[in-house]
Amino acid sequence: MTVIGNEKVRKALRYAIPFGLIPATVALSATAFGEKRYLILSLGIAVMAIMLFMAGIEKKNIGSRRMVMVAVMTALAVIGRFIPLFKPITALCVMAAMYLGAEAGFLCGALSVLISNIYFGQGPWTPFQMLGFGLIGLFAGYLSKPLLKSRVLLVGYGVIAGIAYSMMMDVWTVLWYNGSLDGSLYLTAIVSALPYTVLYAVSNVGFLLLLRKPMGEKLGRIKLKYGV
Amino acid sequence: MREFTDGNPIAVAVYYLCVTVITMFTMNPIVILISLVASAVNYALYAKGGIRPHLFSIALFLILAVINPLINHNGMTVLFYLNERPITMEAALYGITAAGMTVAALYWLRAFGKAMTADKLLYLFGRLSPKISLILSMAIRYVELMRNRWRKIQTAQKALGLYDDGNLIDAMRGRARVLSILISWVLENGIITAESMEARGYGSGRRSSFRLFRFRGRDLLIIAVSIALATVGIVGLSYASIDWYPAIKTNLDAPISIIGYIGFGILAILPTIINTKEAIRWRYLISES
Repeated sequence: MTVIGNEKVRKALRYAIPFGLIPATVALSATAFGEKRYLILSLGIAVMAIMLFMAGIEKKNIGSRRMVMVAVMTALAVIGRFIPLFKPITALCVMAAMYLGAEAGFLCGALSVLISNIYFGQGPWTPFQMLGFGLIGLFAGYLSKPLLKSRVLLVGYGVIAGIAYSMMMDVWTVLWYNGSLDGSLYLTAIVSALPYTVLYAVSNVGFLLLLRKPMGEKLGRIKLKYGV
Repeated sequence: MREFTDGNPIAVAVYYLCVTVITMFTMNPIVILISLVASAVNYALYAKGGIRPHLFSIALFLILAVINPLINHNGMTVLFYLNERPITMEAALYGITAAGMTVAALYWLRAFGKAMTADKLLYLFGRLSPKISLILSMAIRYVELMRNRWRKIQTAQKALGLYDDGNLIDAMRGRARVLSILISWVLENGIITAESMEARGYGSGRRSSFRLFRFRGRDLLIIAVSIALATVGIVGLSYASIDWYPAIKTNLDAPISIIGYIGFGILAILPTIINTKEAIRWRYLISES
């Protein structure tokens, strides 16, 4: 966050957002607003969470080689979103995370959504999608050792990621429509989104199995050759 | 002629943020009506082609307005029974308001999306975070580059006789091979790009952007006016209230709320005002010469 020049202010913000600003937003919306607007609350927190992650990445020294590789993976994910029905975006984020680290996974997920939404339409759903795919990439990065070893775990991760993403976006749909999370509406949303959930899970698993070997070889080779 | 969206991206983003957040924040029918009309007019100025770009919004509005009374059976005034479930007036009116809110917010966001092209997005992010902005700009460039190289590889493969479109399995295999070559090529090339960047002193200074957006007095004025009007609107709105269930109970006409509506109304038609003013000035200048 170079927009804030002072190092001390930056450091203060890094602690103020998670420990001060986010709880304050929650408390304010729970008490001050008569009608509880969970949508605006969750939107604000999603944006703050993304900013926190990005600020953390900004601070870290990733190295320009790794950054270029993240850009390549992001571009592939953006192009992949143009494939009708089956989207390889999760698979590509997971691959990026496994070979280039958790931050790379987060960036690949979040930024590919941001870029592809220039074509598909930006909206209040953008932060949620960014956070959703970003977290899928981040966790894949933390679990990279077992995921690299076992194919079964990788398939499991793909299925869970698809279901979790779909359910998270259903929360968003209900919040957008209703303002608060209504149980029966949420159930309706989950049921009506079931075909998409299945589609996500199937395409995640399919692309992960398809890309695991060839993509892994390429990324591994580049890592070995240039010491990324 | 400098239209509203030709200003500094920061000013444009602040304006759209203010107006969209207020629209999404409220269930006040008056504000939503103002927002819906203003956003539709604003979008219509961008989208040429008559009614066609609006068909989606109209369909969405109708669907969303119908869903709520079908799912939600709260409310005292029963209009009629459907499958022995009461359809209430309160739920129907709530559905219409919620649908209006959704469609208005979507109109604002679509106009915002049209205004924020990739170079403006990069400019905004470049200020916030140079690293993210670099990855963003490279990824956007790679999308085009990869399409270009895909074509090149395909042509080469065809010339080698390794690519056959007639047979489905062969075509799939050919695509997979092209993809594999493409990824290797782009990754290797990316490393060279990184070396070159470092050799030229990447990261040693503040990041510049390809397009220079000057920050003019007008941009500062737009930001100040947007924030001031949004504040007036939010304060006014906080004095208005509406309870939907079990019976509709409104308190929408407090004097301070009316000032809030006027403030929000001016905010909502701000781009239309600026564009009209610029268009009139343009005409005037043409007729002068």
